[in-house]
Amino acid sequence: MKADVPATAMGDIAFNLLIFFVILARANDDSHLKWNPAEAQNLEGSKGAKVTVVIDIDGKIYLNGQQQSETELSDGISKELGDASAGNRVVYLKIDKNVTAPRFEPVIEAVSQAGGELIHILNEDHAPPAPPPAKSAAAVAPASP
Amino acid sequence: MRRSGMNKLLVEPAAVATGDIAFNLIVFFLVCASTQPDRGRKQDIPSSQQTKAEQKQENTEILVTKTGIVMNGAAVRANELPGRLAIHFKGKPRPDDRVVVIKTRPDTPYSNWISVTSMVQDAGGSITIQREEEKTVTVGN
Repeated sequence: MKADVPATAMGDIAFNLLIFFVILARANDDSHLKWNPAEAQNLEGSKGAKVTVVIDIDGKIYLNGQQQSETELSDGISKELGDASAGNRVVYLKIDKNVTAPRFEPVIEAVSQAGGELIHILNEDHAPPAPPPAKSAAAVAPASP
Repeated sequence: MRRSGMNKLLVEPAAVATGDIAFNLIVFFLVCASTQPDRGRKQDIPSSQQTKAEQKQENTEILVTKTGIVMNGAAVRANELPGRLAIHFKGKPRPDDRVVVIKTRPDTPYSNWISVTSMVQDAGGSITIQREEEKTVTVGN
């Protein structure tokens, strides 16, 4: 007598496994954090980062999805980067556009101290480029006869 | 004799397919949900020794406030800054001569700061952050 595994159960098992791994992944994920990216021009694509630092709309600092204090941030980044070689020490910085200088400058400093390669994650600004520099009065004035 | 409607059978979807449909729906919504931006601007950070060396020389200073920009003591409009920087950097091919000290006020928002530092980088300048407590961090082009 041949005993088959019920095919119906396989779908349920796959479903539950997926839910399990999604919940597990969210522990180190920052997609649940709320921040409004600032805008800038000439952005580049990037391959991904080992470390992500977020400053959300409330000014709270998160290192790879976990809330972190400003004083512990540099050590935390160093620990995450480990002894990774140059090119593999990318740190994504996701800062809410309304966060003020006393909050974001120490974070940039912490990335610097930890030896991270900083990439500011931003939205593309589609505004027209700035006009060329104004010519001096002498250059604009017509030549005298 | 056949009764009318006898050949209308109740068709149930295969139970095996339900799991697959749920799986595909989850994958679909996960992909849709990941809409966070992944593009940005790189800022190289030189060593602290280099920072100390750069502090000794006189550099261009830009103060970024909530409402405006002040370059070497003179107010500048945001759309005029790239032109001013281009003129300022003219004849200065060495990166050491193109260091710009970025100062802020406590109410300076990140949006203004990144906008100004992006313009400096695009003009070929190297950024040095100067915080209130006179601690500096150099951010290169």
